[in-house]
Amino acid sequence: MKRKDLLRVCLQNLTRRKSRTFLTVLGVLIGCCSIVIMVSLGIGMKEAQDKTLAEMGDLTIITVSAPQGGRGKVKLDDALLRRLKGIPGIAAFTPKRSLEVESISLVAGTGRRYIADWTSVVGVDTGALEQMGYHLTEGTLPKHDNEVLVGQYLAYSFKDTLRPEGHNMIDRWAGNFDDNGKPIDPPPPFFDPLKGPMTMEIETQNGKITLPITPVGAVKEDYSKGSETSEGIMLNMADLRKLMEKTQGGRKKATAYDSVMVKVKSIDQVESVERELKTMGYATESMESIRRPMEKEARQKQLMLGGLGAISLFVAALGITNTMIMSISERTREIGVMKSLGCYVTDIRIMFLSEAGAIGLIGGLIGCVISFVASVVINLVSLGPSVEHLLPAILGGEEVTRVSVIPPWLLLFAIVFSVFIGLGSGYYPANKAVRIPALEAIKTE
Amino acid sequence: MNGSDPRSRPIIEVKDLRKEYPIGDETVVALKRINLNVSRGEICCIFGTSGSGKSTLLNQLAGMEKPTRGEVRIGGVPISRLSENQLAAFRQRHLGFVFQSYNLLPNLTATENVALPLMFRGVPKAQREAAARKLLTRVGLAHRLDHFPRQMSGGQQQRVGIARAFIARPDVVFADEPTGNLDSKTTVEIMNMICTFARDFHQTIILVTHDPEMAAYAHRIVTLIDGEIVRNEINQKERSPHEA
Repeated sequence: MKRKDLLRVCLQNLTRRKSRTFLTVLGVLIGCCSIVIMVSLGIGMKEAQDKTLAEMGDLTIITVSAPQGGRGKVKLDDALLRRLKGIPGIAAFTPKRSLEVESISLVAGTGRRYIADWTSVVGVDTGALEQMGYHLTEGTLPKHDNEVLVGQYLAYSFKDTLRPEGHNMIDRWAGNFDDNGKPIDPPPPFFDPLKGPMTMEIETQNGKITLPITPVGAVKEDYSKGSETSEGIMLNMADLRKLMEKTQGGRKKATAYDSVMVKVKSIDQVESVERELKTMGYATESMESIRRPMEKEARQKQLMLGGLGAISLFVAALGITNTMIMSISERTREIGVMKSLGCYVTDIRIMFLSEAGAIGLIGGLIGCVISFVASVVINLVSLGPSVEHLLPAILGGEEVTRVSVIPPWLLLFAIVFSVFIGLGSGYYPANKAVRIPALEAIKTE
Repeated sequence: MNGSDPRSRPIIEVKDLRKEYPIGDETVVALKRINLNVSRGEICCIFGTSGSGKSTLLNQLAGMEKPTRGEVRIGGVPISRLSENQLAAFRQRHLGFVFQSYNLLPNLTATENVALPLMFRGVPKAQREAAARKLLTRVGLAHRLDHFPRQMSGGQQQRVGIARAFIARPDVVFADEPTGNLDSKTTVEIMNMICTFARDFHQTIILVTHDPEMAAYAHRIVTLIDGEIVRNEINQKERSPHEA
């Protein structure tokens, strides 16, 4: 038989018992919808969780430090940096060293108007920062000696000496907070550190050292990269070395760096890179220890939701099998007639399988359309029903968290799965049909 | 084929055919030992009362069931030894059926029903339905081409059934009590039609019946009693198709 004819016969058979076909399709449709919507809720949960985690810090950063009490061969030095270049999965890295002094202050403004009594000063490889995933809220990366980056909220460390004591500092935490405990609308600080030069004043046993610095950029706060991104100063490692020589009077420390920060190419490689660093003898730290269990939990929830949906699709599969068996027992004589007129067994099998598959396909397609609409409605309800929310409800975005997320693969999967359920549940009835002998045509009732 | 002219060889050859059915612990012998030859172009009537084994013989001849012993050859092909797929292909090319209860597919129109055997052979829709319409016109149903079986009378349905049996120009057409459900006037019409087709296309008809009236149309009358051929005779006073 020609493929076109098989298709025509299949459609004819589906339309001759319209209400039965409709009900069977309805079953598949409900099953498909419940899978898609359940999984989309799971994905929505996961997406919201990822957003929360990403706000806590960069998930692909590993901080490498020397093992505790380890004074042996495992050192954080330039030899390690050379070895890191050879590890696959590492996108960038920077050594870190913080300035250890007893007292440090920053002075800025005309006539020493703005003074910060304390700050952390960290040396990094400023050339690697962009690749490391440091985001600048303003300005540029340092290019010249003594150009520095400041943390996003360094300005709040300064007091305005022209104002009375007790009212000369701004509390960054005075405003409102969002769900993640971050200030939404911090009051504006007294001055902008990027507006002019600053002087760093350090007290040492050998006297006071002053260093003029030029802030050229502000770094977005990211705790996974260290607290200096919030209220500290980052300068080039070479500048820091010079500064340390002055403060320590030539004494050298045993280790070259405090820590090394490694940026891994993708989130999936964090675990393996971290393991490799550990086997090299280093202590490591990353968001992985938080992310893993959260991800595991999210996956379990997704599986549970998807499983609930799948149950209803399996029930629908029973419906298809039932419908097919019914229709075959009604058509026993017809099948006998077809066989006696020379219809191939394979064609009969294809006829019934395609009928079952078509029920799955139609149910899957309509189910996907309905679940898509349902998902948009759910999102609109949670975002607030208005026209400008329509697009974010469908596509999502940086600033919205959707309750229900339907990625294209989910729709594709649902359709393919429905068709397979159809074919699977048609398998047994089709075999039954194939075994009906041509003799059935001759039997008289 | 033994070097002989295939035209002179019988189209149907039955050799030592035996068919048993197990019923419970006992075995019922439906056909004892049948030997039968039917020549090409012959109208052969298998005549017998119910339980005589005539239906079983038809099933054997048409390859619907496997024999217990012996074999059936149609055009030299041992159909009792063909696989299911070979049998389907053989039926498409060489066999046609007319059923007592017409057995038209209820959801197909008259044209589609007649075109069915050609569809199984993979003939394109336009071509096979043109052939079907032509044949339906010949059986006098030009005004019923797009009617469904339920919209037609028994006689009309059987005419569709005959058109379906002959559309693929088979070598042998099996007719199982083709007029069993029809009144006497229609019976004559139907029988004339079958005989005319058979003569025009030089086709062999195997007509199974319990009605002695029908046997009158045949060239050869084979009478079965209890699974045995008791008489195999050439019909001397054969009725011509146009006599009625």
